Amino acid sequence: MSRTSRPSPWRVALITILVVSCVVTLAPFAWTIATSLKRPEDVFAPGSGLIPHPATLAGYRDVFTLVPFGHYLRNSVVVSIAIVGCNVLFDTAAAYAFAKLEFPGKSVLFGLLLVTLMVPMQVNLIPLYRIMVELHGVSPHLGANTLSGVILPSAVQVFGIFLMRQFFASIPDSILEAARIDGAGELTILRRIVFPLAAPGIATLTIFTFLSAWNDFLWPLIVGGTDASRTLPVGLALLARKNTINWPDTMAGAVITALPMIVIFVAMQRRFIEGLTAGSGKDIQ
Amino acid sequence: MPSRRASTRRAVVRLAAPAALCVALSACSLIGTGSVEPPKAGTGKASGSVTVWDYYGSATPIKPAIAAFEKAHPEIKVNYQAYDYDTMQDKLSVSISSGSAPDLATADMTWVPTYAANGALADLSKISGGKVNGQPIEEQYTPGGLAAMSYQDHYVTALYDFDAYALYYRKDILDKKHLQVPKTWDELRSVSAAMAEDTNGDGKPDKYALQVLPDTFHYAQLLFQNGGAILSPDQSKAAFGSTAGVSALEYMKSLLTSGGGLYWGVEQGDSTGLPGIKDERIGMFLNGPYMMGVLKDGAKEQSGRWAVAPAPYSQQPGSYLGGTGLVIPTSAPNPSAAWVLAQFLLQPKQQELVYTKAGAAPATTAALASPVLSAPDPYFGGVSEFPVFRTAMSTASPFPYVASWPDIDTALTDAVTAVLINKATPGQALDKAASRVDSALAR
Amino acid sequence: MLIAPALLFSGAFFFLPMALSLLWSFTDYNGLQPFTWAGLANYTDLLSDPVFLRACWNTVVFGVVTMTIGPLLGLLSALMLNQRIPARAFFRAVYFVPVTTSLVVVSTMWKMLLNDQGLLNKLIVAVGLQPHDWLSDPGTALYAVSAASIWQGFGFETVVFLAALQSLPSELYDASAVDGAGPIHQFWHITLPGLRPTMVFVYVVGIIGAFQAFDQVFVMTQGGPINSTTTVVYYLVQRFQALDLGHASATAYLLVLTLGLLSFIQLRLGKRFA
Repeated sequence: MSRTSRPSPWRVALITILVVSCVVTLAPFAWTIATSLKRPEDVFAPGSGLIPHPATLAGYRDVFTLVPFGHYLRNSVVVSIAIVGCNVLFDTAAAYAFAKLEFPGKSVLFGLLLVTLMVPMQVNLIPLYRIMVELHGVSPHLGANTLSGVILPSAVQVFGIFLMRQFFASIPDSILEAARIDGAGELTILRRIVFPLAAPGIATLTIFTFLSAWNDFLWPLIVGGTDASRTLPVGLALLARKNTINWPDTMAGAVITALPMIVIFVAMQRRFIEGLTAGSGKDIQ
Repeated sequence: MPSRRASTRRAVVRLAAPAALCVALSACSLIGTGSVEPPKAGTGKASGSVTVWDYYGSATPIKPAIAAFEKAHPEIKVNYQAYDYDTMQDKLSVSISSGSAPDLATADMTWVPTYAANGALADLSKISGGKVNGQPIEEQYTPGGLAAMSYQDHYVTALYDFDAYALYYRKDILDKKHLQVPKTWDELRSVSAAMAEDTNGDGKPDKYALQVLPDTFHYAQLLFQNGGAILSPDQSKAAFGSTAGVSALEYMKSLLTSGGGLYWGVEQGDSTGLPGIKDERIGMFLNGPYMMGVLKDGAKEQSGRWAVAPAPYSQQPGSYLGGTGLVIPTSAPNPSAAWVLAQFLLQPKQQELVYTKAGAAPATTAALASPVLSAPDPYFGGVSEFPVFRTAMSTASPFPYVASWPDIDTALTDAVTAVLINKATPGQALDKAASRVDSALAR
Repeated sequence: MLIAPALLFSGAFFFLPMALSLLWSFTDYNGLQPFTWAGLANYTDLLSDPVFLRACWNTVVFGVVTMTIGPLLGLLSALMLNQRIPARAFFRAVYFVPVTTSLVVVSTMWKMLLNDQGLLNKLIVAVGLQPHDWLSDPGTALYAVSAASIWQGFGFETVVFLAALQSLPSELYDASAVDGAGPIHQFWHITLPGLRPTMVFVYVVGIIGAFQAFDQVFVMTQGGPINSTTTVVYYLVQRFQALDLGHASATAYLLVLTLGLLSFIQLRLGKRFA
């Protein structure tokens, strides 16, 4: 064995820490999966450990049969894709302006936008719901009880603008100046230079807006009302019955809801790396 | 680029103009300077569509009744919406205060005071003309039930299922230890101490103990049994600081110190106590009829081991009276049709579904007498335990109807918790709660 | 033009509702009857309510605890995950799993972990120590809730830091390596300065999020025992459920005022160290 391939103590320690924290991180998720496979009466039975015995898929069957699961899934997909699309477009554009362009009132505007982040959403529920009721009066396809009512308030998120602004802030101005001198328009600069460089940021933005749209509960509950506009978390809550919680059903719902987010994350992880190779190197010189 | 910019601007204007217009038109309803219209009194025959919100979830007794209703009333179309109990209060509050409320909704009796005191609930005395299914409302409910439905001399809700507490106990353990079913406070304390076991020797019982829940519901039961009240008769001041109130809390505390009680806080994860029932930490508890359903569903393996008895008391039998009420919001578009549906749901045949589907207790007197409810129950050793709850209901009283009920509830829960975890004496804790309650009532 | 859509949407769906609730914070509005003006009464009521003041203190403690430990853990994990380690993609996905789980599920699991019969107490008993009711003791409940929040949140911080680490130009590291700089020197002089905008983001967003903590409290403790875990937003929601929109709105704007000041200071500090 050659000297170089022998792991250093530092690397051994690092990997040990990673593995240990992995177990800590995954334990509750493992518990979720285990519970989803148990019978309701076994969940709190004394001596029932992590391994479901007997294991049953009844929780998953309930999720697919007791509620119109396919319908909720479709709503969730539409809502999440629309929200992610709008945010990637609008947040990134606004963030670029705030980070790299000069215009009057810039810092005041940005400050105002940040304030919206500080208002707890619970206090805006009634005013926002009333706006949605009014919008619904204008057109039956808008506002309360429609998917647009779920999407619109999340189409632009100040969180995303802020995130992207901080990413753009780390792109050296000199690159942009050089491109402007070469006669490139702002949109060209955005497309050819800024977007590739900010790819890890956009991937992060995608992950988080998808996550918040996919998991959001309170607003879709308030603005919705019929199955026509219910998303997965709101719809799956109907599996509960008054006074008791059916843990296997609830946990099966949680597992199914979490899977697409993990898939999105793994897919976006690749973008991190691609963004790196596309952005660095030639352009900077 | 300029042309594109101009077109974007045009698009923005095109989008913004109707929005601005609609905002201007509806400014009053948005800001809140307009008031919610009271419903027209029921004139003529009810028809049209009626929207109903139901929080029973997958155990709903309402949904199966809808088809029968539509057959009996073809002139009324029902728009049924399911919600879950935990989140419906938020949804209902937002809708009620935005003028887009349903016509009929299930509401927990603990929500009703806030809604009623804020004028969110329609006057059922007016809409019903004093009758339900052709008979006077007064003949359909027990006096406690009627008190729970009344706010300022009119009815604001029709009780659909009820909650009143009795004593559940592990009959097998009681018999094995040759103990008698307790009837008084002293007996409850001594029997629970004799029944409970401390298997790990840490000084706290961990087998067959009496569940002690630090909440307003359980404290209120002891308070009522001791002859006390939560508020003064004119509802302007706290009344639980009385001798009756303090000694009730002292008694609650003594259930723990005697070695028979097991403290069961929110952090246990499940107020029904099911985890503790299954691992046999809990051998006795005071709770409502819905727990019969919870036991049958969740603790099938303990079938035949449980029994129910009237709650032991000190001076007089008593309990908190709650449950589910059917409400018609003030802003309901079709209150008369909603009342037709409500009456249908209150017919004995539909009320039986509350018992058979939701495992809870129907509230009307006609339903209470139904043979379905008195049928021998194999889970409870071939005995029908339902009559115990029927008796409990006749001596139960509702929580006071004041807008600040949620504050009173929190203040009392805090006081009870503080005493049970040794952070205050009953006198101190109730004094502190009383001053919080007085200032909340003064607001 | 680039910010027009952002302004349009935030105007309609943030500023308009905010204006309404700000207005209501000076009234006795209950959502149903026309309101009457209350002036500053709602605000003065709050500042003299011991429960509200307790909620403020709890929120500050929660914010300090979660925001000192959370980002630190996040940065450490991001640095580890940015190394050449085997199965890197797998480890990254694992750290992300808690973020995908909804806060309600996470809080439920932690409640089971921490209650008197929970796994933590079983471990404590196994090593011969006294078990403790973490969530029923007013002295420890807030820290127990904080622990659950940190566990769920640090995955978020890890992902943000990791993305930022990966957008740092590798040329800078190559050049300094040629100059003979070691990894520790590189960390202080390249990595940390490069992460500055991200840190500003993580802290500003993190503190705002921590000051709005609600779900974990609602599920784990309902604000108890004896108000020891009541946060400002939990207090607000209680006012809201009592249809007391005046006090609920006033609570929100006291929070906004505080957060505005904090964020202003943070952004200024971020610029100062540029």
